[in-house]
Amino acid sequence: MLNILYRNMKWRVQNPITIVITLIQPILWMVLYGTVGANSMHSTISNYNAFILPGIMVLVTFSACCSGGIINYIMKNNASFYRVLISPVKRVSVVSGQALETVILSFIEISVLMAVSLFFSVRVPSDPLSFLSMLIILFLTAFFLSCLTYTMSLLLPNEVVYETVMNAIVLPTFFLSSALFPSETLSKNLYIVIYLNPFSHVINILRKILMNEPFPAREFFSVSLLLLILCIITFSCALYRLKKETAK
Amino acid sequence: MYTIQTQDLSKTYKNGVNALNSLNIQVKEGEVFSLLGPNGAGKSSLIKILTTQCLATKGKAFILGIDTQKNPSSIRPLISCVSQSISIDNHMSLKENFIFQARLYSLDNKTIKQRMTTLIDSFKLSEYVKYPVSTYSGGIKRRLDIAMNMISFPKVLFLDEPTTGMDVQSRRAMWDMIQKIKETFRTTIFLTTHYLEEADILSDSICIIKDGKELIQASPYELKRLTGNSMIKIGLTDAKLLPSCCRYIESLKLCSSSYIRGESAFFVSDDSDSSFPLIIRALLDKPFYVKSADITSPSLEDVFIDLISKKEVKEDKKVC
Repeated sequence: MLNILYRNMKWRVQNPITIVITLIQPILWMVLYGTVGANSMHSTISNYNAFILPGIMVLVTFSACCSGGIINYIMKNNASFYRVLISPVKRVSVVSGQALETVILSFIEISVLMAVSLFFSVRVPSDPLSFLSMLIILFLTAFFLSCLTYTMSLLLPNEVVYETVMNAIVLPTFFLSSALFPSETLSKNLYIVIYLNPFSHVINILRKILMNEPFPAREFFSVSLLLLILCIITFSCALYRLKKETAK
Repeated sequence: MYTIQTQDLSKTYKNGVNALNSLNIQVKEGEVFSLLGPNGAGKSSLIKILTTQCLATKGKAFILGIDTQKNPSSIRPLISCVSQSISIDNHMSLKENFIFQARLYSLDNKTIKQRMTTLIDSFKLSEYVKYPVSTYSGGIKRRLDIAMNMISFPKVLFLDEPTTGMDVQSRRAMWDMIQKIKETFRTTIFLTTHYLEEADILSDSICIIKDGKELIQASPYELKRLTGNSMIKIGLTDAKLLPSCCRYIESLKLCSSSYIRGESAFFVSDDSDSSFPLIIRALLDKPFYVKSADITSPSLEDVFIDLISKKEVKEDKKVC
């Protein structure tokens, strides 16, 4: 697993543009949309930048994980993917190594995002329990998304189709969540759609932690459980798809 | 026990293409085995099945007695495969590529260091260690690809058209490398190639396949003998008449088969010495102006063309 992780991290370090590009859009959201939104929402939300930061964190995680799928296509094109497949390395190690690389990338990008958000009066939780809870939620979200994008990269024929499909998933998922507006103010039908989006719950709990609300223990456990189930499902799907690569 | 053996191996893809059709081959331990065949003959499909990349539709394949279909995880530590496209990671250094490959096979650091030094020296890669892999020429990348795949000291090394696209010098360096692997590491080598000269020089055993079925398997020497001890080579002043010349001689049943290569027509006969004057006389009776005529020994290319051009091979010619 560490071998695969090291190989992918090395690729990432040698291609820093993939880190920069996946960061640009979320930072622009944070800086531009956050400033514009703060002016129109100042009556209902005291710190709009802190309000949208959890949604942007999920968006940056999505972007980082999508680029993990692209690495898979690069490895397929230069045949090293198949060299790994016919080696005795366990399939679990391959999926874990791939997933952890994008998890690490997500954490790097989230750290940059949080550093930028400090300029907009957003405070990092000082309470260790809240901070640890935030890390757990972010880890599970990133692991779930990286397994999902890895599965998609094994399912879809090439990187062009992959990019198209991922774009069709990411933006609707982002806009149909509680990332930009308080869901309570929306119409009932839209509220149901947003409620069914698991990322709304991730964003809500991160928001409560970042806005220094009392620690939502019950919500934390239920969201963690939901993410854990999603991680297990997508990890199993990735494993199944990888095994199918040699069972055609 | 054979190192590699297939029994009535068949592969039909989902789109209905029959890549392999009851293929039977045997490869002995420590030999260089070459698989020859035209494009689409099923060479790559066979390598994919033997290297556990895909499953056969029917039949069995064994490596060192282990069923590749039932027990692929037991096969994987024993084999290595150098695919048609270069599989090295350009973003890693030469040594990192070796280490990555070695760790896939769970080798410890001491073994990795020892083997890496041996392989770098054996394959003359020392002078390239300090340069980024992405700056290597195609030939050096291919050399690294093969050396890297040797780090697990595989019992069987699959080389899928390793010299395709190489210049003559690089190809000869590759031949030296393949011979070194055989002699130094005692590895059984399974080679597919389009270059008949390469198969002739390197192989202990050659199998020619067509439409997913073996036509013949024998040593290069035996293969050359199968076509006959000699062939009749005819050149005409007007090369455009060669096809009609071949048809004419075949219609007179003065040869068992014929084909054109370059500016000459080749006639295969069981007894070339007797057929030679008969063919010359027949051509002189017709308006074929003979420029040159000779009795030559068949090359592997002659054997290949002869076998591939025939629809069926008589069973009594089969040597296994």
